[in-house]
Amino acid sequence: MNSKAYYGKFGGQFVAESLMNTLEELDEAFETAIKDPEFLEEYHYYLKQYVGRETPLYYAERLSEKYGTKIYLKREDLNHTGAHKINNVIGQILLAKRMGKKKVIAETGAGQHGVATATGAALFDMECSVYMGEEDMKRQALNVMRMEMLGAKVVSVRSGSNTLKDATNEAIRTWAKTAEDTFYVIGSAVGPYPYPKMVKEFQSVISQEAKKQFYEVEKRQPDVVMACVGGGSNSIGMFADFIEEKGVELIGVEAAGKGIETGEHASAMAEGKPGTLHGMKSYLLQDEDGNIKLAHSISAGLDYPGVGPEHAYLKDTKRAAYVSITDTEAMDALMELCKLEGIIPAIESAHAVAYAIKKAKEMNMDQSMIVCLSGRGDKDVHTIADYLAGKGYLN
Amino acid sequence: MNRIEERLKELKTENKKAFITYMTAGLPDMEGTKALIKAQEEAGTDIIELGIPFSDPVADGPVIQDASYKSICKGTNLRKVFQMMEEIRNDGVKMPVIFMMYYNTILHYGIEAFAAKCKEAGVDGLIIPDLPFEEQEDLQTALDKEDAAILIQLVSPVSKDRIAKILEHARGFVYCVSSMGVTGQAGTFHKEIISYLTNVKKVSKIPVMMGFGIRTPKDIEPMKDIIDGAIVGSHFIRLLEENNYDIKAAKEYCRSFKRDL
Repeated sequence: MNSKAYYGKFGGQFVAESLMNTLEELDEAFETAIKDPEFLEEYHYYLKQYVGRETPLYYAERLSEKYGTKIYLKREDLNHTGAHKINNVIGQILLAKRMGKKKVIAETGAGQHGVATATGAALFDMECSVYMGEEDMKRQALNVMRMEMLGAKVVSVRSGSNTLKDATNEAIRTWAKTAEDTFYVIGSAVGPYPYPKMVKEFQSVISQEAKKQFYEVEKRQPDVVMACVGGGSNSIGMFADFIEEKGVELIGVEAAGKGIETGEHASAMAEGKPGTLHGMKSYLLQDEDGNIKLAHSISAGLDYPGVGPEHAYLKDTKRAAYVSITDTEAMDALMELCKLEGIIPAIESAHAVAYAIKKAKEMNMDQSMIVCLSGRGDKDVHTIADYLAGKGYLN
Repeated sequence: MNRIEERLKELKTENKKAFITYMTAGLPDMEGTKALIKAQEEAGTDIIELGIPFSDPVADGPVIQDASYKSICKGTNLRKVFQMMEEIRNDGVKMPVIFMMYYNTILHYGIEAFAAKCKEAGVDGLIIPDLPFEEQEDLQTALDKEDAAILIQLVSPVSKDRIAKILEHARGFVYCVSSMGVTGQAGTFHKEIISYLTNVKKVSKIPVMMGFGIRTPKDIEPMKDIIDGAIVGSHFIRLLEENNYDIKAAKEYCRSFKRDL
């Protein structure tokens, strides 16, 4: 066992033998790069000049007033391409370039990571293929077009459920075939080691900034730090610099879909059954035969049957708490944020906002929390429109 | 002695090569699987790899993915395949059987219970494509404790300096994956296939089998003198499907492959 690949009993490298040397090369290249001042300088240059960092830590005044505690929003929605995904993509593509790779592949569900990867590939002149489930391609036709405009090839995946899980399977298959010249850009804090570590490293800029920004205003640590969890990339980035601050309560918000009790949800932690998928051991949604169950969430970005291994570890060690929010609660919070603050959040991020509103009830005006607003809701307007039509909001 | 080791020893004495097939358990149904195993034993197939279907078969190409999916839809699961194994052993089937499966299926069943059940049901070996050498300790310990099935080691064309480490305590045979990637890439092998196989053969104390992309004895003509046997998976599944799982067609294919090997 390669113990550094593990977070407690989670993580590891559950991949085909043909990828083991690839993972070792990647690990070496990554560890060298993040200690190389030149690499870091380049990474931070693009984060500042291209992505538009730092992003604001915005004090949501009206939201805070209404719910009775100080709520700060970390505005990852203001990044280029509209979400936190680009932070990690810039890091991984710079690493790919450093390793001499000319091609990148990626998986995508809603299309956000696909768009971010296509963007990075255009910027650094790399050939890019994005694997996307046929069903998701229909639901997110606009993002398919964006990726194609950026020069990427979108590969339609027709196997299994035709969604993110299957797109990931297909990306892994392609990677196993082409690893000699192709870099696999994983978008979430999942996959075989060193991917979970790499994604955390490149997303930790979120908490590095937030911690400093919060301190400048409040001269102390926040009481609560919160983020939504699908695979767990924005949340691990939001938690990273607060994990060692024991007084800070960390909360990850999963998607409860139609309700945990209905079985139609995307909360891998709620069922608490560990297993192996996509190269890692972590909590997974499984049926009684050990097959992977389909996740359900109104938010495509949280619609994943597993969760990153470090989150599983943070749950088991009780350093972070994981809760869940239903489709309805998330959509109510989304509308609330639109009306109170003039911000249209991604449906993913609205899950964190929804739990923030619940959590605020046990807090007061002397306390404060940071909520990661991981992305903007432009991509979700069709889903929102359908939902509102069904719920009769507009009447 | 384990049935795999026993069979391979006989082949060595007879100076013959091994013919190994892969088929997905539960197709066309469990009774049909039984009949196909028995027919292959008669036809001279040396070892059967039985695929336990899994929802996310990342090491498999489209043919085996489809077969897995169909089998799951028919209700196949590990428990039922164990039961089928016990039944064919009771019926007197002596040939070695290997389970090809993904690690999650074992974790879900429980590692120790799984090892014990392999022994009880007469499963002789395991091939787990998503369980590389570094992750095998838990399962290997459980299998050793029960003196149960052999964990077959896989190597790939890019394993290079990992080969010696992987083969140090390997038992049964070495499974040489013929190409990068997934099962069923008809007839296309890695560009350095000959030097790779030669190297594995040199290091290995146990027989060396080649699999992935093999359809006919002609496909392996160039490396026939290096390897100790061939594994046919996707092509065999396609053949079964095309012939509507006809026993005679399966037998004919196995008999003629074994003869020409």
